[in-house]
Amino acid sequence: MANIEFNLDRVAKLAMLELTDQERAKFQEQLPSIVAYISKLQEVDTSNTDAKTYLSDRVNVFRADEVCDSDEDTHSRLIAAFPNSKGDALEVPGIFE
Amino acid sequence: MNNMKYRTAIEIRNAIEAGEITALEVVEYYLAKIKVEDKAINAFLETFDESALESARKIDAMKKAGEALPRLAGVPVAIKDNMTIKGQISSCSSKILENHRASYDATVVKRLKVAGAIIIGRTNCDEFAMGSSNETSFWGAVHNPWNLKKVPGGSSGGSAAAVSAGFVPIALGSDTGGSIRQPAALCGITGMKPTYGRVSRYGLIALASSLDQIGPIAHTAQDCALVLEVIEGIDEKDSTSLELDEKVVPELIEKNFKGMTFGVPREYFIDGMDEEVRKSVEEAIELIKQNGGEIKKISLPLTDYALAAYYIIQPAEASSNLARFDGIRYGTRAQTDNLWKSYLHARGDGFGAETKRRIMLGTYILSAGYYDAYYKKALAVKTEIFNDFKKAFEQVDVIVCPTSPAVAWDIGEKFNDPIAMYLADIFTVSANIAGIPGISVPCGENNGLPIGLQFLGASMQDGKILRAASAYQSLTDWHQKDPK
Repeated sequence: MANIEFNLDRVAKLAMLELTDQERAKFQEQLPSIVAYISKLQEVDTSNTDAKTYLSDRVNVFRADEVCDSDEDTHSRLIAAFPNSKGDALEVPGIFE
Repeated sequence: MNNMKYRTAIEIRNAIEAGEITALEVVEYYLAKIKVEDKAINAFLETFDESALESARKIDAMKKAGEALPRLAGVPVAIKDNMTIKGQISSCSSKILENHRASYDATVVKRLKVAGAIIIGRTNCDEFAMGSSNETSFWGAVHNPWNLKKVPGGSSGGSAAAVSAGFVPIALGSDTGGSIRQPAALCGITGMKPTYGRVSRYGLIALASSLDQIGPIAHTAQDCALVLEVIEGIDEKDSTSLELDEKVVPELIEKNFKGMTFGVPREYFIDGMDEEVRKSVEEAIELIKQNGGEIKKISLPLTDYALAAYYIIQPAEASSNLARFDGIRYGTRAQTDNLWKSYLHARGDGFGAETKRRIMLGTYILSAGYYDAYYKKALAVKTEIFNDFKKAFEQVDVIVCPTSPAVAWDIGEKFNDPIAMYLADIFTVSANIAGIPGISVPCGENNGLPIGLQFLGASMQDGKILRAASAYQSLTDWHQKDPK
């Protein structure tokens, strides 16, 4: 197995994930071996290949930039689904200290 | 009503139209059956009794008034928990979305409703559709109706088990790496992943946006064709959806192999696969040959790399798509002054282990220093895999192969070995990577556990694989068998 460098703490921080001690121990063991498995792609010659996310030829699929109002029903459902709200205003934690 | 004479969507729909049964009787039958028998299987997370009965009454009123009935009038359908139904919880079988009530219908749900189908409930699945055994659900594992100790497959295990157990004639699943076809194979039913872009993803809570597709799960290819006819088609709300060259018309699907060439890829018959699976698939190929189909041996040289490419692209896209679940809009707000800690806690507490594992993998793959070697490389391999299939479909109409290398395994058996679990997808992921359609039909069994046969088609040739599946089902009766 290739020497896979996997900095668990760095990745967990980037992923915004809190891991339990059990998960840390498990992942420290499992993730490098998964990465070793997927590393076999290095064997494929792709020197002449485009890296494309979507294989179709459709590009720039836009709609007209027109403002439309949302209907009352959707409006009230969205507000009701939000964890904290005051009337029509949605409440979020402050981002400045 | 204790006995249901009708098993498929087409039979039910025709019986309601002929006045032989009412939509209300149909819905009451299935609701009662689910109430008693689903305890052992755990296919449904919730049934929508009130609204389903109300919808049934509306169909019956239409019938009474002499109005023309729409395509799926009165047919109950189960929806996987990762598709939005207005006013209902869509939790993706995750704790973090346990209180998420959808504000809109997914396009597929809207189209089913317009067609008169009755949304009877939402089904259990692997958390965020990540898994091959339906064991990662926050709401508990689903049990295979053929043997309750075994997994039903995943991630659409609930939808597959629901159809297999006779709780509903049709269901919707989603397929990112095999999540419709593999559970269909393990549960002895028919499941189809359409061409990428054929069915709108609007309202499908995204896992991997370049791979996800919604598709039908049913007892027969004919039923799958009927559901596809209703849900397919371009949607202005999904910019990746495509214009169709040709709509599927179930009544026009030929039920024979005449003039069709079938490719058998050597890379899909590997050491370590279940011998009974190999035998059943080889028998199916022989049957095709004896009934007008021409068989050609082909090679898909990059098959071995498809799984690796998949387990780069999918976790990478998943890590990005799941970044939105941070406790601010979705999930539980942690009681803390520190914003950063609140994100960590909401996600740490709300996600299960497999979800976290894949987010970690995806984050690593997309991070600076690794992006080119993994993600960009995988996208290049994706193009090569697509080219592999393009070359193959210049020689053959349809590819025939196994769906799963194994039949259903014990619940808990592979749970602690991620790579063993990932290998379950080895025959299904290529279709998602290449964006081509695939369908699994039952073709045998091993010790009472079903085996699935897979047909793959060229992009937008969904009609061809439905034809191959329909032809196979006109010559065999595996799809007519039920568990117990």
